[in-house]
Amino acid sequence: MSQVLKLEIDSQLSNTTMIAMAVRGVCAMTTLSPVEINRLELCLVEIVNNAIEHAYDNEAGHPVEVCVDLDNTMMNIAVSDWGQSIPDDVIEDKAEPAMDPEHPETWLCSGRGLHIVNKLMDQVSYESDEGKNSFIMKKELRH
Amino acid sequence: MAFEHRDEGHFTVVQIEETRLDASIAEAFKTYVFDLIDNGKTAIVIDLAEVRFMDSSGLGALVAGLKKLSGNGTFSLASAQPAVKDLFDLTSMDKLFKLHSSVDEAVKGG
Repeated sequence: MSQVLKLEIDSQLSNTTMIAMAVRGVCAMTTLSPVEINRLELCLVEIVNNAIEHAYDNEAGHPVEVCVDLDNTMMNIAVSDWGQSIPDDVIEDKAEPAMDPEHPETWLCSGRGLHIVNKLMDQVSYESDEGKNSFIMKKELRH
Repeated sequence: MAFEHRDEGHFTVVQIEETRLDASIAEAFKTYVFDLIDNGKTAIVIDLAEVRFMDSSGLGALVAGLKKLSGNGTFSLASAQPAVKDLFDLTSMDKLFKLHSSVDEAVKGG
């Protein structure tokens, strides 16, 4: 049987830490190691910030919902917004941008968030339904 | 104030007095570092001792500082904590930045 926690914040970057801390608390109930918990926190923060910065264009006053669904085998985290959806080409771009220490023009200052999440989570998906966009991340748990 | 700096020899050590270098302060941090560079500081060490968490926006601000000084000075990092080191490994940024174990090592080692 799964346990579900639903959280909601207003779309301000300063609120993301509260979500991160709450989900870290849930992670403490699982078999995830400290390194895995840090990485899961990183993924969650990236996606919540992405919703605030891109779906809502950094405008406060909009909801960002995080739903954590936990059972013995899996932690499932859905981050939802009701703003602009992520363009298909951004979602489908799984290749990490190449970086060459010798060439400063390849040193990107942004755009790494989704690549980090794709690399660290076991499964990611994205769906839009009647104005609600949800980014869903899954992490398998040892048991 | 979230950031402070001091001179140590010809180095400028920037201390981040926050446990999280994330999207909520990344832009302010970038502006702080850019102001130092615009005011002629060319050997910058970022002291990360207090930073327990960094996201891609925090990382992006560091890359922006490194890029701005590129070819005209040094921009290195000191005292990165485990989660921060992990982010550098994951993004291959450990190839781009000099990561010193302490500020002392950074200002002695150049």
